[in-house]
Amino acid sequence: MTPSFETDALASLDSLYRTALRLTHRPADAEDLVQDTYLRAFRSEKQFTPGTNLRAWLFAILHNTARNRARDLSRDHVAVDSEAVDRALETTIEPGATPESLLLRDTLAPDLQAAIDALPQAFREAVWLRDVEEFSYAEIAEMLQVPAGTVMSRISRGRRLLFDRLHHLRPAHV
Amino acid sequence: MSDCRSIDPLITPYVDGDIAAAERLHVDDHVRRCAPCYSRVTAERAVRALVHERRADIAGDPASAALRARCAAFGAGAYAGASLWRAPRRMLKPLAIAAGVVLVAGGVFIYQATDRSTAVLAAELTADHVKCFGIVNPLVGANANAAAVEQVMADVFGWQMHVPESAGEGLELVGARPCLYAKGKAAHLMYRHHGQPLSVFMLPQVARPGKQDETVRVMGHEAAVWSVDGRTFVIVAREPQPEMERVVSVVQAALR
Repeated sequence: MTPSFETDALASLDSLYRTALRLTHRPADAEDLVQDTYLRAFRSEKQFTPGTNLRAWLFAILHNTARNRARDLSRDHVAVDSEAVDRALETTIEPGATPESLLLRDTLAPDLQAAIDALPQAFREAVWLRDVEEFSYAEIAEMLQVPAGTVMSRISRGRRLLFDRLHHLRPAHV
Repeated sequence: MSDCRSIDPLITPYVDGDIAAAERLHVDDHVRRCAPCYSRVTAERAVRALVHERRADIAGDPASAALRARCAAFGAGAYAGASLWRAPRRMLKPLAIAAGVVLVAGGVFIYQATDRSTAVLAAELTADHVKCFGIVNPLVGANANAAAVEQVMADVFGWQMHVPESAGEGLELVGARPCLYAKGKAAHLMYRHHGQPLSVFMLPQVARPGKQDETVRVMGHEAAVWSVDGRTFVIVAREPQPEMERVVSVVQAALR
């Protein structure tokens, strides 16, 4: 194993762990997931193409491992509250304010974190990978093994679900 | 004016600024005239801005030092240089030890067997051995009280076991802890063997059909793996192979 590969791979450990935590909700499970990810990555170094995005490759392994575990547990990851998604479209905006400014003003980090954690997993991981980890649609599509169009759709619906939930948490709506 | 259906797949890239100029103008024109699509754009844009703004706050704690150490250990050659061979059974001569080192009486562990190979299992447990003795080691001291260890295992995990305080031949119990692997639980008994760290792992309800006694050299340690009565045992230590075989024989004899 090349030292640079090992060093570069370990540089993503924190972001992998935080993403694993969003997927599993349990620190022990997240650690186990990240550990498995590195085990597989180091054993599969030859499959990595130098010059390509190592971080995206590691995230792909992480999600593949998580998918296999979820499959073992026969969990349903795409339970969608379509009504909640649609409610986001009915939101009215206060005069003189933008949605961005209102959400930034009124949303506390714990509320945002709780709202993200409450998303169906398919939407949560898409929003997280795009808006927190800043991967491209193509990279996310490869990680999640779905078409790029599906990635965009999940990001969109996840964002609208978050907006709906957070909008209703704002003081004026309590 | 374009219809909403044709605009729909363009909304998210439009919000993200990841769209061609011509398509941007197309969406601009549409959302100026379409209230539902305008609401969708504003909602997505607001959440995107919020998550970006609060990104550092919601990221959560970084990975623990223990996890970092385990992953770094794997990168340092836990797998790349791992070799697997079967230990010659004839070398495992039982020694006359009065008390067993470990006797599992309850068989109430819950551990889900995985398809991991013996080498992978050994490497994971070796990393845990290194971690427990070197990094997160709150229980390890000298002369651990076997009764206290038994009580903790029984109270917290419902595990009934007999843990002899000393097994002779230089083995001294210094601590114990549960280990979490593969969504299950295993017990980790920590010993000093002539002053050097030695771990005995017990993985309940893990059989290795068709597998015989194996010894894996990993991370500068020897890991001896065997199964009996539906349980798998792993001893990890940085010992010369002959000494390792002697210790293994002690434990195996004690388990009879």
